[in-house]
Amino acid sequence: MKSSAGSGGVPVCSCCGEPAVIYLPASQRHLCGRHLICDVELRVASTIKNESQISLGDRVAVAISGGKDSTALLVILSRLLLSFPGSEIVAITVDEGIVGYRADTLRAAEALTQQLGINHHIVSFRDQIGDDLDTLLTGREKEACTICGILRKKALADAARDAGATVIATGHNLDDEAQSVLMNTLRGDLPRLIRDTGPGSSSLFLPRIKPLSAITEKEIAAYLFVKGLFSVLPECPYTKYALRAEVRTMLNRLEQLHPGTMLHLVYSKKRIEHYCEGMAVMEPLRRCQECGDPSSGEICQVCRLKHSLGK
Amino acid sequence: MKVILPDQDPKNIVFGPSTVGLFLNELGLNPLEVIVSRNGTLVPEQAVIGGEDEIRVIRIAHGG
Repeated sequence: MKSSAGSGGVPVCSCCGEPAVIYLPASQRHLCGRHLICDVELRVASTIKNESQISLGDRVAVAISGGKDSTALLVILSRLLLSFPGSEIVAITVDEGIVGYRADTLRAAEALTQQLGINHHIVSFRDQIGDDLDTLLTGREKEACTICGILRKKALADAARDAGATVIATGHNLDDEAQSVLMNTLRGDLPRLIRDTGPGSSSLFLPRIKPLSAITEKEIAAYLFVKGLFSVLPECPYTKYALRAEVRTMLNRLEQLHPGTMLHLVYSKKRIEHYCEGMAVMEPLRRCQECGDPSSGEICQVCRLKHSLGK
Repeated sequence: MKVILPDQDPKNIVFGPSTVGLFLNELGLNPLEVIVSRNGTLVPEQAVIGGEDEIRVIRIAHGG
């Protein structure tokens, strides 16, 4: 395996000997730009195939915020779906209404979908619930991610259904997945830890897939940089309230010291899912008595949230 | 080196020749949270930098 320093003090690609652009500690490989692109796209294709995420004829609703993960997802899926005859993509952006943040990413999403020739739908919290997120959060800023997450999921599901989608794809990467495992563990939330929303999990909602779940955040950023698609965009102003931000910093530190930590966390989740198979860990899904959406209780999270927001 | 750090104006820093990883360590940055370009080309943590190089450090971890 090649990886010694080449000319200019840059290590060379483990595959071809060209200057490397990234080092992957998990596989102990250096990759050049060309092989990074091949590697990322092959691993996404493997995830889709191994988890049967997409079937022939599927209409895939890709959630695109305009940030790096969803940008990479849309770029990769638009290539990979060429080998799924009859399948097509529709892009959906949820505009939460966050001043100083969403406008830039919305423009990026519009530019990308136009460039790729993909049908793009934009839905907003204002249309959905009558107010933007900034207004809804007045005095409740510390709940930002919880409130936003519930409403965004509902807006995305409704928009995907309206667009005739058969599956929803999101840009969650390996780092996101490992963070979620740790967060759910810290909260003692076993049902959420093992919740399955993938294809075949329920007939009550559109299945959700995560084709980037084996790719690290850094690989995604490098992939976009090499392809000339990386943009520096503003950070969500509510990030400072998020438990995820603390967990991310902690996990990144652990991953740096102990490469493979994130993979091990995701693997442990799969093991727990396996052991819990057939056990009554979760409340069975039913229809919300108010809106008819799928819910684990009599009233769904969205309706409960609307009540608490006075909507 | 001319260095462009996240959310900062370009500045000249005397460093190296040494590796990107050691440079990030001096800045207190985790290599998992940034990508680094040298003269416009992405380089891994093991690449050697210094002299007249133009180094750009880009933060990648965003969102909530």
